[in-house]
Amino acid sequence: MKKLNLISIVLVVLFLSGCNTTKISRKAAYPEFYSNNLSTILVMPPINKTNKVEAKEFFFTTLNQPLCEKGYYVIPPYLSMEIFKSESAYDADIFIDRPVDKFSNFFNADLVLFTVIHKWEKSAIGGAITVEVEYIVKSAKTNAVAYTRRGTMTLDTSANTSGGGLAGALISMAVTAIKTAMTPHVKAARACNEFTFGDFPAGHYNPSFTNDSTLLSGKPVFKARVRLN
Amino acid sequence: MIRNPHSISVYLLLYKQYHMNFKTLITAFAALLLITSCTTQAPKMYTWGDYSNATYNFIKSHSDADRDALIKTYENIIKKQKGTRKVVPPGIYADYGYLLIQIGQDQKGKEMLEKEVALYPESKVFIERIINNVH
Repeated sequence: MKKLNLISIVLVVLFLSGCNTTKISRKAAYPEFYSNNLSTILVMPPINKTNKVEAKEFFFTTLNQPLCEKGYYVIPPYLSMEIFKSESAYDADIFIDRPVDKFSNFFNADLVLFTVIHKWEKSAIGGAITVEVEYIVKSAKTNAVAYTRRGTMTLDTSANTSGGGLAGALISMAVTAIKTAMTPHVKAARACNEFTFGDFPAGHYNPSFTNDSTLLSGKPVFKARVRLN
Repeated sequence: MIRNPHSISVYLLLYKQYHMNFKTLITAFAALLLITSCTTQAPKMYTWGDYSNATYNFIKSHSDADRDALIKTYENIIKKQKGTRKVVPPGIYADYGYLLIQIGQDQKGKEMLEKEVALYPESKVFIERIINNVH
């Protein structure tokens, strides 16, 4: 009975402290969004600082979805990518410290998103992928940083197996290896983006538009374990 | 309600059991809250199908098979929208149209680009520029 009590208390404390560690409202953390009507986002080609060459495309193809779901108009990514390539602007690192108006004017965008992939590591045992990504959203009007977060996310790709003992562990390892090989890394990149943009202020197509100002923002620098669905 | 000592003991037994179950229930409830509290998600506004995979495969390989698969994905997204907005997500008509123009289907491509502008007027400025450049 006492043990159960203790478990209850521990769980309740965990619940209360689990999500609300920063205590900064979205309006306080990202004021630019609540003082200007920012509805259109241009996704710049991700800046890849890792040896995983494909990581750039993993991210480029998965950044628009969560932002559209947040209620923004995201400049069509395939079309913009082709334009960036034709303008020799597929390497965004030369633009990250410069005014963004050249691109934002062309695409009529209110916001410009830069992403820097700092780390992409796959663990040989267990199949987990650890990714460190920095997201920087600049206002096209003021060139100010409107939103930035840097996260180290470990993506758990392990398969659920019910087997026990040594044989079970071996089967589990084999299943994980197969599943990771079959699971596109695109899924991992998408999970990172969805997780990070969880606190992104809602855009005008979202029913929560302007109603989410008092909701809490996430930590600007965070570590998380994200489970792949 | 309680008519004899026997039923009192039964009642006590039941109470104890209930009491125990109540604690278990609190524990389970707290655990459930803990698990769900951070992952609660709003209903999706759009249906995306196999969008990210199909896009990645095509931009990586540029093969005809992956291009056809991407075209099929775009068509499915346009056909089937089960999300709360019941409209095609931003960029789908435009990317589809641009891809069609790249493979020589200018007429259909332009139509798709125009649909993007009709659905999302914020795209008008740059999409009209692209439409004007198609000969």
